Amino acid sequence: MNDHTTNLLDDSAALNLGELAPRVMRLSAIVCAIALGLALALGLGAGDGMRAFQFAYLQNYCFVLSIALGALFFVVLQHLTRAGWSVVLRRLAEIMAATTAPLLILFLPILLPLLLGSWGLYVWNNPELALHDELIRHKLPYLNAAFFGVRCVLYFGIWGLSARWFLNRSVEQDVARNDRLTMRMQAASAPVMLLFALSVTFASFDWLMSLDPHWFSTIFGVYFFAGCTVGFLASLILAVAALQASGRLTYSITVEHYHDLGKLLFGFVFFWGYIAFSQYLLIWYANIPEETVWYLARQSAGWQFISLALVFGHLLIPFVGLMSRSVRRNKTWLVGWSVFLLAMHWLDLYWLVMPAYSGNQPILGLLDVCCLVGLGSALVGLSAWIASTRLLIPVGDPRLSDSLAFHNV
Amino acid sequence: MTTTASPRETPATPRLVALLAEFDSVDELLSAARRVRDAGYERWDAHAPFPVHGLDDAMAIRPTRLPWLVFVAGVAGCVAALVFQWWTNAIAYPFLISGKPLFSLPANIPVSFEVTILLSAFAAFFGMFALNGLPRWSNPLLRVRRFRQATQSKFFIAIDAADARFSPEATRDWLASLGPAHIDEVRDDGLDAALPKPLVWGALIVAALALVPPVMIAKARVTTGGQPRYHPFFDMDAQPNLRAQQASHLFADGRAARMPVAGTIARGELFDDTALYLGQRRLSAAERQEQAVAEAAADPNQPPADVPPRDGYAWVETLPVPVSERLMLRGQQRFNIYCAPCHGLTGNGEGVVSVRALELQQGTWVPPTSLHAEHVRQQPVGQWFNTITHGVRKMPGYGEQLSAEDRWAVILYMQALQRSQDARPADVPPDVLPQLQNSP
Amino acid sequence: MTTTTHTETTMSRHAAARMAKADDGIPPLDRVPVVAGGRDIQWVTDTVCAIPEMPATPRAWYVAFAVSSSLTVVFFAMIAYLIATGVGVWGNNSPVFWAWDIVNFVFWVGIGHAGTLISAILYLFRQQWRTSVNRFAEAMTIFAVCCAGIFPAVHVGRVWFIYWLAPVPNNLAMWPNFRSPLLWDVFAVSTYATVSLLFWYMGMVPDLATLRDRAKSRWAQFWYGLGALGWTGSARQWHRYEKAYMLLAALATPLVLSVHTIVSFDFAVSQLPGWHTTIFPPYFVAGAIFSGFAMVVTLMVPARAFFGLKDLVTIGHLETMNKIILATGCMVGYAYAMEFFIAWYGGNPYEGFVFMNRALGPYAWAYWTMVACNVLVPQVFWFKRARTTPWMMVVACVLVNVGMWFERFVITVTSLSRDFLPSSWHYYAPTAVDVLMFLGSFGLFFTLFLLFCRWLPMVAMAEVKAAMPHHGSAPAIHDDEAEPALAGAAG
Repeated sequence: MNDHTTNLLDDSAALNLGELAPRVMRLSAIVCAIALGLALALGLGAGDGMRAFQFAYLQNYCFVLSIALGALFFVVLQHLTRAGWSVVLRRLAEIMAATTAPLLILFLPILLPLLLGSWGLYVWNNPELALHDELIRHKLPYLNAAFFGVRCVLYFGIWGLSARWFLNRSVEQDVARNDRLTMRMQAASAPVMLLFALSVTFASFDWLMSLDPHWFSTIFGVYFFAGCTVGFLASLILAVAALQASGRLTYSITVEHYHDLGKLLFGFVFFWGYIAFSQYLLIWYANIPEETVWYLARQSAGWQFISLALVFGHLLIPFVGLMSRSVRRNKTWLVGWSVFLLAMHWLDLYWLVMPAYSGNQPILGLLDVCCLVGLGSALVGLSAWIASTRLLIPVGDPRLSDSLAFHNV
Repeated sequence: MTTTASPRETPATPRLVALLAEFDSVDELLSAARRVRDAGYERWDAHAPFPVHGLDDAMAIRPTRLPWLVFVAGVAGCVAALVFQWWTNAIAYPFLISGKPLFSLPANIPVSFEVTILLSAFAAFFGMFALNGLPRWSNPLLRVRRFRQATQSKFFIAIDAADARFSPEATRDWLASLGPAHIDEVRDDGLDAALPKPLVWGALIVAALALVPPVMIAKARVTTGGQPRYHPFFDMDAQPNLRAQQASHLFADGRAARMPVAGTIARGELFDDTALYLGQRRLSAAERQEQAVAEAAADPNQPPADVPPRDGYAWVETLPVPVSERLMLRGQQRFNIYCAPCHGLTGNGEGVVSVRALELQQGTWVPPTSLHAEHVRQQPVGQWFNTITHGVRKMPGYGEQLSAEDRWAVILYMQALQRSQDARPADVPPDVLPQLQNSP
Repeated sequence: MTTTTHTETTMSRHAAARMAKADDGIPPLDRVPVVAGGRDIQWVTDTVCAIPEMPATPRAWYVAFAVSSSLTVVFFAMIAYLIATGVGVWGNNSPVFWAWDIVNFVFWVGIGHAGTLISAILYLFRQQWRTSVNRFAEAMTIFAVCCAGIFPAVHVGRVWFIYWLAPVPNNLAMWPNFRSPLLWDVFAVSTYATVSLLFWYMGMVPDLATLRDRAKSRWAQFWYGLGALGWTGSARQWHRYEKAYMLLAALATPLVLSVHTIVSFDFAVSQLPGWHTTIFPPYFVAGAIFSGFAMVVTLMVPARAFFGLKDLVTIGHLETMNKIILATGCMVGYAYAMEFFIAWYGGNPYEGFVFMNRALGPYAWAYWTMVACNVLVPQVFWFKRARTTPWMMVVACVLVNVGMWFERFVITVTSLSRDFLPSSWHYYAPTAVDVLMFLGSFGLFFTLFLLFCRWLPMVAMAEVKAAMPHHGSAPAIHDDEAEPALAGAAG
């Protein structure tokens, strides 16, 4: 018998969450309820018509969703490129991606007030302002609550259905062992990738860029996507490490897979930096007030420190830190960098969202922490829920042996 | 150059430098390599037409230092590029362009990045060849005819005769036990070790010729000549365009230069603020009527008390510019430069020029007016402005020397001077008042 | 270079047993084999070396060379005329100060990008099929960059002062302006040309050694030996060589991104509507790879037929490249869509005007040619038949390159021809010199290419051999015995 298959056999007792799932789900539900309840109370107590709550909630929601979107991208990309090395990791990504559909419910605290006419979060929803502000009036055909809602449904429809479809085909293959399923997934991956690119772009325009309805940048969707992928890869490394700490997948996922995830993380850190620098340089150089205003808000009143923290923390330091092969092959180091980069990805979204709320200065408060804990535990709980009835490795994938035997040169 | 000339007549007993075992497949090579490694040989090598996966382990090759070399070169390139850009653009040849700072980091990143990559790539490329001891112009291995397959489809292990465990017979027998397809002796006859003579001469001539341009440039840099710079294409010097004051048949008046269209105003020279630039203000209809009534009622033999600048206008009575400490200081400075020489530092008309002129008893000298004279005090500031601009009696106009803002600054300072010469105890701050009262 | 053959090329046995073979003989889930037809490494050596070792150059080569070298002569004659007379011989005039010169520059630089992508990025992604085309594509990179560099060099007008662009001390005691994107271009393109050349040459050293060792004549032995630098395929040398190759790939990857990014900065840092948009950097890079792959396919299809390389450059490899063309074509389409959407969304009337002007103005014909060729034409690659039929892919790829040339034309000329000052609006038309220089640059490109095809190893033999399956490496076999246990786990 082949060595690599032995690995899987060694894991066969620990290929699902087992008794861990209900425990994680219960714990997440409790933490989520307490944290979001506390956040709601803090938001009501702030006495600003829930603006503080809405902003903190939006930021953390985008953080959690970005991880799920990164997962969906990863799944589709593996099929698109017919990747072999990543098969043992793919189910975890499929599970994370499948959280997009239930996450729609958690988007309602943003969507419903908007549909009811609130403009605490998105000023373009203020009908008074639209009367005076020529630019907002110009954008009304796109930026209006009804169309915003329709687009949300469309985005979640694309993400939820495609994620579910890939997960179900893959789970079906666990038993059916049918290679045709792989071929169907490969065939579907290309159009899904197109839909994914368009939906993520417009979602980032709608949810993040329109917070400042005057400002615009054609690269914004790519910027958000780059952040999503960094966040997801860091989360995947942490998820694998956590599962291995609980005694699962310890034989099937090896240092070789960590190494490749580390390389991808390194690559996407650089990609994020490239996109961020491109956007910054072009706006800085042309120096057109209608564009620089966005960066001006992020270069004054204390935001400059967050901007610098991103330059160093989201690009330069991890770039140097992940450069070495030995770091990428060291699980401890890689987990450390993943935690760090996940924090930086969170800070990146904070930097995108919050200047629209507290233009004066960045204030990290309990509200942010509560929203993060609440929505983060929701993601963990939903993942555990989806994983509870499924295997953690697509055991029926025809390329599984490639992945188990995978060895970096 | 490595040549694989057909073996020639060689001098007696060329030195044995290595034993060469040939293998047909990767598998055989790998297992043989492991055995050579385990047998404790140190000076040996394997040869394959492509990098064989697993051979590094089988031969216990230590990881190369190349990545460190590349990293150091990259950091050096980045730092050097940044320092160089800073020095040239901010220190040696500073000039402002498109409002960017002299050393503007975002704009310096692209070049720094490229230089980082360039030096890293040089380090990887040249470092690899240097660490590999290449180029190597002669290699006795290449004299073995069968070895030519090493770059095509066969695999070889060469054990160096310099290895401590090497013995021509024992090693050969041991190698045979590894199951090679063939064993060859590698002998160094020293024939091709030297570079071919024509090649050496050719290289020397090329090197000498390559020195000519730098020498010419170096000479040009240290010598001077009376000849103008050599221009390959003269139409860049003599362009068919027209210059001012030239004649041209193109226009009816025969002049190349064109007058601006009537009513053209140059940028920044509109001067439509009469209060600021002339010290005048337009009278309202009511005021004009009032003025007409007053004129009609006045005694035609008496000169009018106030001379209006022109019909329908009056001198402004307050400064048309915002008053600030800055303006006051500016006014003091301008006053002391342009006015004080005649009018005196306090404006009393006893400036050094006037004092000297009176000492010399210059008959034509008209002593400057004291700025504290009652008729001066009564004048509206607009009239002062007019006087400063155009001059009066012997005083020349200062409109050319002082900008409109500066003239108003001088007027502000004049007002301060007038106040200072007409001060009352109430003007003095209370804490210094006793001091003044006690002084004799 | 890498030898993960057991993970990349070998198909798991149970899958093979279950699946019917597809039409081309490759099971649908299997990877494209590097070499078709079950050839061995000696066959690879013989096939590739046969081309430079040809005793007599084929007549068709001479015909092609005569055509391309004549065009090259035209090219240099036009350059001489331009230098002697001034850039007025081009159609450039106010306000279109940049026209075909820059369009051709960006076009050729873009063509070059596919070579680096194949040799560096696909290497990092362990795409072993790239070994059959990478040498060819890298050569294309270098020749395309040669053509590209000439246009900006001569458009400076007084080329004898071009050394002012380089940071060397000069008699005016002045230094270049490092804050200018045009200077960034000088650094980016020259670095790119240098690193591409090093990478190409380094990859060729083992193959030159092969040619040296097979040489029949003293001359061939001398020249190939000179190029091979004494390479003997030593394992200790291979070890450092592979590391250097990996490092160069890792360096060339961000480099290739940076080059077209900086080319896009030439436009995008300005304030001209139609040029200043933040998506330009990734959009230009995607477009460059798009056009470069199209050029590789266009050249590779006739070359593999003519030189008998069909088992090395298989239909499977071409199909993969066509998929990449489709993917990058979609990215370019995405960028067009974003530009248009944001031009409306941004609410800037000038920006909006430029885009309406592109689509409906006097250059609408160029705009719609661009859209048709770049967005619509690659959609045929959704069909396997188009991806695997040589004549269809050549037609599509030629059209893609037409479209990419027009893309640069649309960006440069339409934006400039109607700028902020309507009184100086102007319809640009090229002169004969413009046209002849552009055609001439193709002559230079093909001349260099023909020389390369004739005298140098067109396929990276050592890399292909390393990527082929060897008996030595243990194939990953999905052992049938494991299946019941796994099925149990699944249930």
